[in-house]
Amino acid sequence: MTGVSSAAIATARFGGKDEMERGMTLSLRDSVDLLSDPKNLDASVEEVFKLMLGVDCRRYPGPGPAPEPESVTAVVGFGGLLSGACVFHCGGSTAKKLAARMTGMVFDEIDETVQDGIGEICNMLAGSWKGRVPDLAANCGLSIPTVITGRDYNLHVQAPEFQLHHLYKFEDAGFEVTIICDGLQ
Amino acid sequence: MSEVRTLIVDDSSVMRKIVARALLQAGLDPMVVFEAGNGSEGVELLKTQQVDLILSDINMPLMDGLEFLRQIRAQNLASGVPVVMITTESSEEHVKEAILAGAQGYIRKPFTPDQVKERVLPLIHAA
Repeated sequence: MTGVSSAAIATARFGGKDEMERGMTLSLRDSVDLLSDPKNLDASVEEVFKLMLGVDCRRYPGPGPAPEPESVTAVVGFGGLLSGACVFHCGGSTAKKLAARMTGMVFDEIDETVQDGIGEICNMLAGSWKGRVPDLAANCGLSIPTVITGRDYNLHVQAPEFQLHHLYKFEDAGFEVTIICDGLQ
Repeated sequence: MSEVRTLIVDDSSVMRKIVARALLQAGLDPMVVFEAGNGSEGVELLKTQQVDLILSDINMPLMDGLEFLRQIRAQNLASGVPVVMITTESSEEHVKEAILAGAQGYIRKPFTPDQVKERVLPLIHAA
């Protein structure tokens, strides 16, 4: 691993006192089917890519994109009624392509602007996904994105309550989005 | 339209560029853009610069967008200047909280340039 930016993943922001108290009386246990519905994640990815990057993006069954020497992973944490994370992962060439789409600039390397762009995509995906479940939208906060770049690293998650892991493609570029739920109230 | 002095507060430099581009596409041209990476930077900037429009994210490090709004109202900075929140937090509760803190508009990320135009231009014309 060569770099980590914006290392503020530990605790996601979770509204004020009233929101916290309201959250205490709610439960998402009855919404597990809705939360784990793969269509919600697909719709979020399609919406973010269409509106912010102007590209059509579709889920595909795999195999995943060919490994690249360098890759980028962005993580946005969930806190509140649901704890977990939204993880966006892609190769370096895809990251540069996405940042170019967002800014209109050309990137030769994975610099701070590329990392920032990937973090923002992950942030919008996390917000869009949680916004599709009414009780979650108001009772789950998002952390500031953390972005990891480098070679030969793995992210390991210990026994989540549930996990969605999807592969997507736009043009000839592929990326992965994972929703990890490791706690549900 | 005369020059519109706009403050964009967002911890993402990429998002600040996207918002500025959307404002230009909406017709805010000529426009002078001031950028801040969090609410605290935004407050400091408003102590030295007069602006006509503020767009702010909510979820930011050091000082979030809601506290930024409360601070500028408490310190009587940017009095009468319209503030629009642009954020991934889009529940009814978050919108209410932003309006109570003094925001006049709310745009959910991801957004289209048309949404920016529809929600920002009327505020500029009314100010």
